Amino acid sequence: MKITIIKPGLLSTVQDMGRYRYLSQAVPVSGAIDELAHRLANKAVGNDDHCATIEFTYADASFKAETSILISYSGDGAFLVYQGELMPAEKPLFFSAGSVIKLINNPIGVRTYLAVAGGWNVPDVMESKSTYLTAGFGGYKGRALQKADVLVGGPNLNEISNKILKQLVERSLIYPNWCISRNSLLSVEKREIRVVLANEICWFDATSILSFLTNAYTVNLRSNRMGYQLTGKPLVRKVKKELLSTGVTPGTIQVTGSGDLVMLMADCQTTGGYPRIAQVAAVDLPLCAQLKPGDTIEFAEISRDEAEELYLEREHDLLLITKAINLKYTQI
Amino acid sequence: MIKEERYSGTNIPLKIYGLSEKSLTVTFGTSIDNDLLDLITGFNQLLLENPFSGLITTVPAYTTLTVFYDPLTVKLSDLPGENCFEKVSEHLNKIAAIIIEKSNVIAHHLVIPVCYGGNFGQDLLTVAKTNNLTETEVIDIHTAGQYTVFMIGFVPGFAYMGGMDNRLSTPRKEVPAAKIPAGSVGIAGNQTGIYPMETPGGWQIIGQTPLKMFDVNRKQPSLLKGGDRVSFKAVDQEEFNAMLKQEYENHYH
Repeated sequence: MKITIIKPGLLSTVQDMGRYRYLSQAVPVSGAIDELAHRLANKAVGNDDHCATIEFTYADASFKAETSILISYSGDGAFLVYQGELMPAEKPLFFSAGSVIKLINNPIGVRTYLAVAGGWNVPDVMESKSTYLTAGFGGYKGRALQKADVLVGGPNLNEISNKILKQLVERSLIYPNWCISRNSLLSVEKREIRVVLANEICWFDATSILSFLTNAYTVNLRSNRMGYQLTGKPLVRKVKKELLSTGVTPGTIQVTGSGDLVMLMADCQTTGGYPRIAQVAAVDLPLCAQLKPGDTIEFAEISRDEAEELYLEREHDLLLITKAINLKYTQI
Repeated sequence: MIKEERYSGTNIPLKIYGLSEKSLTVTFGTSIDNDLLDLITGFNQLLLENPFSGLITTVPAYTTLTVFYDPLTVKLSDLPGENCFEKVSEHLNKIAAIIIEKSNVIAHHLVIPVCYGGNFGQDLLTVAKTNNLTETEVIDIHTAGQYTVFMIGFVPGFAYMGGMDNRLSTPRKEVPAAKIPAGSVGIAGNQTGIYPMETPGGWQIIGQTPLKMFDVNRKQPSLLKGGDRVSFKAVDQEEFNAMLKQEYENHYH
């Protein structure tokens, strides 16, 4: 399965679930910012969650199928359109060679993930296919996709992908009648982000902590895959000491010297020296992944235990989705 | 004087806080020094040799060790505890109970060749002037020292090194340079460091090493890791070029 990029859009990179084993060498996690959408796109074509997808930023992109392809997409930056018709998300989609597929704007979010049966086949760099642009490694030649780039899927399809493909071809369908309900996992327009208060919380005065949990913050223009700068009421420190750089992770909310918030995202550095006020609950990170400059969010506190339970529940739900798809196709 | 809070190996339990659903951080102390660093290095080695089920990786820093894990695996493990945080903490406390004294930690020692000054170290004069030294004196002092890698951070393979002679201490540039070449050796405050790849940066650049500080094709891509000991050796441009050629050939053969 092969496609050619006709128009790459603003920023399109190959990503997977990230590069976790090299953090001690300051290699960022990278990977899909919206890990949930990445995984759902993979599941819809029968893939393992770790298969590489293409992360598109906004729309204004298009590609051509060079062979027949089995793909799927998920996310809130774009809708896929074929011959003027909107293609449904989180469903396997079959297109014959020569088909041109466009991405048109979805006003809700930013990032959309395109999966192909078997995963996009780029070399593993440090055990991951994720692109890390700052250092120019991983993904497709260590860079963002450009016009005329050719991406190949597979080469091997698993049993489920093969059965999905066979069913669509035999019935001359673009897509089947089932889909994965992303909305049942995540309400995509929710603007309340759950957080767990972080280790340096007592470095801030009580008014600032209250202000953090009650005021709205706006994502500003200086936001990218490394992190988002949030504009709102600056926080006041009562402890003035310096924090020696220590491990941070996507979802960490740091407070800069001027009292502004920075929410770290997938390409963030592995260590940071700003005091941390909170950590975004892993289950709400996909909501953050879809935030655009100008979007406003509020934070709601949950406990560390609640965050862990929510995470385990989400993983359980995702496992059930895979099981349901497998069951559906093993019966054929 | 404030009494320093630090882990002594006996005052169990460890100081641990949660970072995310998939990670927690152990705090071993509050200020930077070699003994603490060796303690963290030793603890880290022991943990990696005796992992718990679900351990993904660890990130040592100045005074902390962050431990990343897969909650699904940890939850199912038979470690005691109500949740993943408790289960992982339990394992780490077991490691702490058998922590090998720092004398048992074998730190790697590496010698890094550096071509100082000129186009390779455009801020050598700034460092010299700031400290009322000549450029030669700066080079002599820098090569006489033994440095400890406190942490790899900032960008892949960037080593923050302490142990520099205070006579070389120089503040960062007021306006960071847009492009610092790969291999540049810099000074910021009383730390020294090497840029593994071309990035913007604010450190005062005194020279450049021909060694590849980060190479995705190596088993350990970063040449240095936390806890390593480093010294610098001055080389001239001819030696620099020969070493660069050698590094290039190693890379492509």
